[in-house]
Amino acid sequence: MNRLKLKAQEIKAKLTARIDSLRIIWQYSDSQPTEITLAAALVILYPIATYLELGYSPIMQVLAPIAGLYQLYCVSGRCLSCRVRASWVTFSFYLLAAVMYLYCGLLFKGPSYWGWILLSVSSFGSLKRIKKEELHRKNG
Amino acid sequence: MDNNTQIILAVVTLLGSAGIWKYAEARLRVKAELRKEEQSTNDTVLYRDDLRNRVEEMDKALKEAHKELLELTQKVAKLETENSFLRREIDILKRN
Repeated sequence: MNRLKLKAQEIKAKLTARIDSLRIIWQYSDSQPTEITLAAALVILYPIATYLELGYSPIMQVLAPIAGLYQLYCVSGRCLSCRVRASWVTFSFYLLAAVMYLYCGLLFKGPSYWGWILLSVSSFGSLKRIKKEELHRKNG
Repeated sequence: MDNNTQIILAVVTLLGSAGIWKYAEARLRVKAELRKEEQSTNDTVLYRDDLRNRVEEMDKALKEAHKELLELTQKVAKLETENSFLRREIDILKRN
């Protein structure tokens, strides 16, 4: 019985350490690859998906790819404040897509639509990571 | 969806995301400030900074000591030469 308890404690400690490690990676790891992926999705996937599922919307199908290109430009320029700005714009567009899908009643129609929420969360996480990096560099 | 609805939703979302971001940013700033304050009062960090300063001072002192040692070695070499020269002169004078 004691051995089982010890084993359970050991497994719990290991799991806690792994979860902590994941939390730290999520908060502090490099976000450039995520930014590039999100920007590429904003340029390619976003206008096609919203046009096919929501119909023509100039805000989403014209401005979003421009925002995606701006994000790519900022990532390639390695400027932190520019990346923060661009990431906030990207996050706003993904949130807008989630809101639009919700308004049209599509968001909870099928699990594949929840991807917009995932993209919003991912872009927000990326935005927070860049801001943290900026503050860390400022404070030393 | 008509254009007006799209614009209204876009503006509302934009304001919402700006609000969310302002809140998150403020929280991040406060956390960063707290961490900075914590570090400035943390004994380990202070001890590390103190050690770093001492290492720098000792490095400086070591370089100065090396320089002085070199100068002294040169002086000793010069004095040894002079000494041997003078001994030889004394020997010559003694013979005469």
